Amino acid sequence: MNSPVTSIKLVLLGEAAVGKSSIVLRFVSNDFAENKEPTIGAAFLTQRVNMGDHTIKFEIWDTAGQERFASLAPMYYRNAQAALVVYDVTKPQSFIKARHWVKELHEQASKDIVIALVGNKLDMIESGAERKVAREEAENLAQQEGLLFFETSAKTGSNVNEVFLGIGQKIPLKTAQNQTQGAGRGSSGLRINDDSRVDLRSSGDQSASGSTCNC
Amino acid sequence: MIHAERRKSMAERRPSTLNRSSSSAERMGTVVPHLAGIEDPLPDSTPEKVDVVLVGTGLVESILAAALSWQGSSVLQIDSNSYYGDSSATLTIDQLKQWVEDINKNDSKCYENAKLHISGLIGRGSYKSRDFGIDLSPKILFAKSDLLSILLKSRVHQYLEFQSLSSFHTYENDSFERLTNTKQEIFTNPSLPLMTKRNLMKFIKFVLDWSNQPEVWEAYKDKPVASFLVEKFKLERAQVYELIFSIGLCYNIDIKTPEALQRIRRYLTSFDVYGPFPVLYSKYGGPGELSQGFCRSAAVAGATYKLNETMVSYNPDSRIAVFGDASKVSVTEKVVIAPTQSPENSKNVPEQKYEVQRLTCVVDKACIEWFGEGEHAAVVVFPPNSLKSGNRQAVQALIMGAGSDVCPTGTSVWYLSSTETGIRGEMDLDAALGALEESILRESSADLENDDGILEVDNSGHMTLNSVKLGQSFQENAQREKLQVLVKLYFKQFTSTPPFEVVNPSIFDVSAMTNGKLVPGASDNGVLYTPLPSAEISYDEAITAARMLFQKIVGSDDDFFDLDFEDDEENEQINESAVIDDDDAEKMNMTLDAEMSVEPVEFAGEMEI
Repeated sequence: MNSPVTSIKLVLLGEAAVGKSSIVLRFVSNDFAENKEPTIGAAFLTQRVNMGDHTIKFEIWDTAGQERFASLAPMYYRNAQAALVVYDVTKPQSFIKARHWVKELHEQASKDIVIALVGNKLDMIESGAERKVAREEAENLAQQEGLLFFETSAKTGSNVNEVFLGIGQKIPLKTAQNQTQGAGRGSSGLRINDDSRVDLRSSGDQSASGSTCNC
Repeated sequence: MIHAERRKSMAERRPSTLNRSSSSAERMGTVVPHLAGIEDPLPDSTPEKVDVVLVGTGLVESILAAALSWQGSSVLQIDSNSYYGDSSATLTIDQLKQWVEDINKNDSKCYENAKLHISGLIGRGSYKSRDFGIDLSPKILFAKSDLLSILLKSRVHQYLEFQSLSSFHTYENDSFERLTNTKQEIFTNPSLPLMTKRNLMKFIKFVLDWSNQPEVWEAYKDKPVASFLVEKFKLERAQVYELIFSIGLCYNIDIKTPEALQRIRRYLTSFDVYGPFPVLYSKYGGPGELSQGFCRSAAVAGATYKLNETMVSYNPDSRIAVFGDASKVSVTEKVVIAPTQSPENSKNVPEQKYEVQRLTCVVDKACIEWFGEGEHAAVVVFPPNSLKSGNRQAVQALIMGAGSDVCPTGTSVWYLSSTETGIRGEMDLDAALGALEESILRESSADLENDDGILEVDNSGHMTLNSVKLGQSFQENAQREKLQVLVKLYFKQFTSTPPFEVVNPSIFDVSAMTNGKLVPGASDNGVLYTPLPSAEISYDEAITAARMLFQKIVGSDDDFFDLDFEDDEENEQINESAVIDDDDAEKMNMTLDAEMSVEPVEFAGEMEI
């Protein structure tokens, strides 16, 4: 694969049990994505998506449960270029929480972050549960705040890929390519100087490769 | 020993590993599967029962939380603050104000005499509180160190960005000398006499392998390293000072030979691991960022996090911990508490008898004059007796520029620290601040003379003076004469860790039932207390302390970050070069040999080392 690859940090937000992780699992284990084996390491999940002449590599940060007691670290939001704010279409409380997360993102994250509002568990309505968050209400919020909007079912996979494709299309390529528009410290948008970054995996000292560290 | 047997690790207990072939697990050690951390939906309430409760999210507690979580212990980690990091936090200006208020109001036993000045330009004016990230205990990371290898193994490095620091200055005779820290610089430095160069090279060759040559230093085991360097290697005062204070980053001249040799070696072996620099630092803030990274890693492994939460009491008999919101948790193994957040009626908190004094300033100068090319930070060391205060201990300064994203463009953060006690410490820090200020004003006004906009060449080739520009420059210069200080913070911090020693393991025994008896009424029997950050400018103490605590809790340190992640293609190139190995000395020697041939004339027949 020779197309240029751009990495995008994507963060997940939403009330507990709305299906944040399920959406991502559905996305990363889907046939539609390029490599079938998702990679979910210790740090974050990654998945590549072909977007025509270039490839986007999503680095997906799960909250790892740290949102439960309002304990997300500034590190979580830093330099995030995209966010999924997820709620459950059968739980009005989760939609109120979604508004809160959108506000939080506007305060904490980079100004040009692409946010997708995602109403999940559509399958429950299809199987008889009562819809408690009207589509129009969510669409209104999305319009006011400039968000992408989707209704999905992580269970059936319905509309899940579209969320990520939609984000991929909306990320300005320029931003994704040179990656200089991080949140910086605060909202002042300080530039990230990639030249000065040291990759800890690339020491010039290759002699110890293959040996196992016992420390 | 609490556990005689090694407990099953996270990966071994995880359902997704059960149907895997056990042979790969045996071969690879602990292999953590793909879906670690997101397999189970998490409950919306705190657990009723955990193995370990950690109070405080300072760096040591956070490393410990990650180590325990990946090992398979269930962990609840809380912090009374609204942010991560506790005594090693990276704070915004608003958080810093609150912090100072809190420690002064609460009569903290860990801090004393905090004073904070904030310029009106922050908040109302040109800068926002969040434009700054001020470290309470700034640190630098040696390229070859325990922490670095743990960062790689745990993948916590993926949450962070690191930048290099190669600029080490020694302040002497009212000026900064940039450290001759590469072998090349030692060779090419015209100010060093040949004999000195030879002696220095001889010493460098020795120190890389010093621990295997006790015959050389045995007689100096309990003596200051200065006498060893002078008597054994015929080094002169300037080199001795550079080795002890800039390369070794020691605080005083009395440091014993083995300790100093270890510290000098640390610098030299770290050089050229990632490039021509010995240390790194994390962008956006130091230990505060690392704490967040380790906490996230612990959370991915299943730890529960709760900020804005205090521990009110712990009953060692019923093993019930009670929190500020009246919730309770039953503890199966240990409670670990940072001394900064111990419950009110704690009686066994270790004595914090060593003092660290810190003076932190944000100034409206970029200070790029002090940084290496393409870099955004520098270390400045003021050896004993180099300051107007007649300092007995060294003052160390870490300068962070805007490129490290801890402050806005055009400003920099100066972190000064000293192990000097009492009023002398404050005087030393003030003197060092004055010296830095003078130096940067002098260096940046030198720019003025080189300003080619002032002198212009006209059509006929004559130089003419642009008086308008000159006038402007004078005006700017007059304004510039005094440095604008945006933030000035002074405080005294106490620690149980003595200077030069990493951590004293005996502090972990104090609360574990002295003489085998419980203190009647004390809530903290059986509680382990973590050490507060010491004066040490490197991270070296943090991993050691976390590992000791881990061993106390688990019974062995075999599983301390014994991890091997299945990961994506990019991580396959990982090597373990950060681990200190025995070949270092040899490799360095090879480099030395190679460089010696670069200077054949000067060293022909001389280098019999």
